[in-house]
Amino acid sequence: MTSSFGRRRLLYGAGAAAAATTLAACGLGGEDGGPDSGRSRLRAAFSAGGSQETLDPHTVPLFIDQARAKALYDSVLTYKDDMSVQGRLAESWESDRSGTRWHIHLREARFHDGRPVTAADVLWNYCRIADPATVAVSQQLFAAVDFEASRAQGRDLTLVLKDPDFEFPTALGAPGTEIVPAGTTDFTRPIGSGPFRYGSFRPGGNALFTAWRDHWSGGPHMDELEFVPVNDERARLGALLSGQVHYAHDLSGASAAQVTRRKGVSLLQTRLSTMQAILLRLNRAPFDDHRLVEAFTLGLDRKALVEVALSGRGTPGNDLFGMGLHGYPDSLPPRQRDVDRARALLKEAGAEGLAVPLETSDADPSWRNASSLIADQLSDIGLKVTPHTRSAGTYFGEIKTKGVAAQSRTATLPVITHLRSRLVTGASDNLTGYRSKPFDRLIAQATGTRDDAVRLELLARAQRLAREDDGQLVWAFSDWIVGHADSVGGLRAAPPNSCDWARFDRARLS
Amino acid sequence: MLRYTVTRTGLAAVQCAVVLVVVFALTSLLPGDTVDAVLGEQGTPQQAALARAGLGLDRPAAERFVHWLAALCHGDLGRSLVTGMPVTEQIAGRLAATAVLAATALALLVPLALGLGVLTGLREGSAADRGLSAAAIALHAVPEFVLGLLLTAWLSLDLGALPATAAGLMGLDVLTRPAVLILPVTVLVCRQLCDLARQVRIGIAEQRDGPVATHLRLLGVPERTILLRHLLPGTLAPAVQQFARCVDGLLGGTVVVESLFAVGGLGTGFVDAVQDRDMPAVQGYALVFAITAVVVNLCADLAVRGLTPRREGRA
Repeated sequence: MTSSFGRRRLLYGAGAAAAATTLAACGLGGEDGGPDSGRSRLRAAFSAGGSQETLDPHTVPLFIDQARAKALYDSVLTYKDDMSVQGRLAESWESDRSGTRWHIHLREARFHDGRPVTAADVLWNYCRIADPATVAVSQQLFAAVDFEASRAQGRDLTLVLKDPDFEFPTALGAPGTEIVPAGTTDFTRPIGSGPFRYGSFRPGGNALFTAWRDHWSGGPHMDELEFVPVNDERARLGALLSGQVHYAHDLSGASAAQVTRRKGVSLLQTRLSTMQAILLRLNRAPFDDHRLVEAFTLGLDRKALVEVALSGRGTPGNDLFGMGLHGYPDSLPPRQRDVDRARALLKEAGAEGLAVPLETSDADPSWRNASSLIADQLSDIGLKVTPHTRSAGTYFGEIKTKGVAAQSRTATLPVITHLRSRLVTGASDNLTGYRSKPFDRLIAQATGTRDDAVRLELLARAQRLAREDDGQLVWAFSDWIVGHADSVGGLRAAPPNSCDWARFDRARLS
Repeated sequence: MLRYTVTRTGLAAVQCAVVLVVVFALTSLLPGDTVDAVLGEQGTPQQAALARAGLGLDRPAAERFVHWLAALCHGDLGRSLVTGMPVTEQIAGRLAATAVLAATALALLVPLALGLGVLTGLREGSAADRGLSAAAIALHAVPEFVLGLLLTAWLSLDLGALPATAAGLMGLDVLTRPAVLILPVTVLVCRQLCDLARQVRIGIAEQRDGPVATHLRLLGVPERTILLRHLLPGTLAPAVQQFARCVDGLLGGTVVVESLFAVGGLGTGFVDAVQDRDMPAVQGYALVFAITAVVVNLCADLAVRGLTPRREGRA
C-alpha cells in the first residue's frame, strides 16, 4: 500500500466499495486475507492515543510503544512479576564492595544484521538515555552514572556510579532501556536484537514484525506479529470478540465480564497491577495542615471503592505503592475507615464544610465513578469534594503543577524506583511535595547497603514512615485485564512492565 | 450570476480564515500542551523545558500562529509536534479511509433519500407515510454512538454477521475487506437520511396538489411525467441546501463513527491531534474540514441560485 492515491484510484475505490457494500452480506472473509495468508500472524490490539509513533525505544512512554520495543529489542535485564531483576542480555551482573562499580557480562547475542551485541553498544545506549536532550523516559535512572570512568570491552561492561547504589540493577531492566546498535540515529527501519525483526510500520497505523529465528532464545513460535492501534476500549473488545485480533490489551471490568461469557475467548487477569491513588499536595493549602491529610485518609472507604469503581476487579490499597512486590513491607494493618475521628480532626483544624477540588480525567476508566464515590464518602466527614475533570491526553502532565488533590495511577515498577522518583525530597515526580529528612536518610542508607536482608529492612522502615504522611492515599490496586483468543497459547497473566507481559515470542497460534 | 459567484467565493475564503483563527485560539485556550501529553508523568522539568524549546512552544501563541500562516502561504502545513512527520503526509494517510466512508455514505444517501421522500410525499398521511416518518424521527433521536454500539452488539457480536471494527486497516486497505464498511456507513447514513428524506417529502407533498400539478393532471399528463418534470425539480432547491448540511453532518459523524469502529481516518486523527495539543496537526485537519464544508455549501448556494427561477428586476 502506498500512501499516495490518485483521483482515479479513489473514484474506482469508492465505486467498488459501494458495490461491495451491497454485496458483502456474505459474512467474514478469512482471518488473514491478503498476500501473507498461509503464514501464522498474531494480531494484537493496543491503545495508541498520545503515542509519538516512533520505534525509538528510549523515548516511548506508552504500553503499545513498550510492547513494540519488547518485540524488536532486548534490554540488559528484565523484571520478574514481583519486579525483582533477572537477566536478559546480561549473563551476570555484580558490584564491587563499595557499590559504585558494576560489572556486567553480556551473553552471546546478535543484532538482526548479524553484528554481535557488544558492551560498547550497551554503553552507548546508556549514554544516549542519560542525555537530557534525548528526552528518554528512563533518563533519571542513569543520571548518577559516570560515563567518563565507565569502560566497555568485548562483552564486559563496567559502569561507574557517582554514589554507592546496590539497587542500580533495577535501572538496567527498566522500560525504555532496550539496546540498539551504537550510533543509531534513524529509527524508521530499526535494527535490534529482539525476537522479531522490523517488517513495516506506518506511524498511527499497524506495525508488522517478522519472526527472527536466530534469536538467542530460539526465536518465536509464529511467523509474524502485528500491532494494531485501537484507541477506543469498546472497539478493542469488539475487535477481539469478532475475531479480528487475537489479543486485546487493557480492557475494563465491564468488558471482562463480556469476555467471560463468550466461547473462544479468555481473560488474563493480573492482580495488584496498577496503583490507584489520590495525591494530596502537602505544600499547598489546605493539605499543608496534616490533620486534613489524616482526615482524608480516615474518611475513605477503600472496600466500597473497589466494589463500585473497579467492579470488584481490584484489591483495597493500604497507602503504599507496590503491594505484593519485592521490597513491600509485610504485616501492615489495613486502613480502617473512622468517620468520627476524621470529623474531630476537621473540627480541630477548623475546616468543616471545606470545599476541595479533586482533579480527575478519563485517563483511567475507573476514575469517574471513583471520584464521585470519594466525594460521597468524604461528605460524611464534612468535606465538600468536587471532581474537576481534565482532558485525558494532557492530564498527567498537568497535575504535575496544578491542583491540590488529584487521581493518579502507576503501573508496576520496582518499589525502589517508585520511592526514589516519587517520595524523596525534590525528586522529579514528587508531586505531593513530601519532604522528610528521616525518610531520605533511610533511602540513602538502604541503597548504600550491600546486605540484601538489611537493605530490605531499611526500605521497609522508610515505607512505614512515608505511609503516615506522604500525601499518597492508595485506595486500591486494580487488576490488569487482557483478553485473548483461545487459539493463542503460551500467554500468561503478568503485570505491565514485567518480562512476560506482552511477550509474544513465547506465544503459539493454533 | 457572475458577481454573485465572486462575492460568494470571497465570503467562503473569509469563512475559512475565521475557522482557522477560532480553532487555533480555542485549542490554545485548552489547558496543557504537547509536552504534557507526550511526556506525561515521566520527564523532569529540565526535559520538559528542553522539549518545549525544541518544539518552539516557548514562543507566544500569536507568533506561532503567524509563523504557521506564513508557511501555509507556501503550501507547507508544518510538521506534527508529536511525530515529527509532515502534517500533509499525516493527513494524506488518513484522508483515504474517510473519503471512502463519506463517498459510500453519500452514494447510498442520495438515492435512498429521494426514494423515501418521494414515496412518503406522494402518499402524505397514508399508513406507509406515518410509519416511515415515525421510524425516521425515532432513528433521528438515537445518538450516533448509541446506534453504533447497538448495531455492533446485535449484528456482529451476537449474530457474527459483520466485522465489529475496521481494526488494523489503514487508508484504502478498507477496500480489501469491504464488509468492515457496512456498519460505519449504516450509522453515518441513518442520521442524515432522516433529514434529507424529510426535506424531499415536504417539497413533494407541498406541490402534489398545488395549482400547477392539478392543471397538468387535468390536461392528462401522466403522473410519472408530472413527478419527474415538475415535482422533483421544484423540490431540488431546498433539498440541495439540506444535502450540503448533510455533508457537514457526515464530517462530524465520522469523528464518532471512526472512533467506534477503529477506522484510521480524519475524524480519529483530528481527535488525537486535539488530545495531544498537536497544533500544526489540529490546524491541518481544521483546514481540511473547513475547506470541505465551505466548498460544499458554496456549491449548494450556487446550485440553488441556478435552480431558482429569477424574478423580474433582479440581476
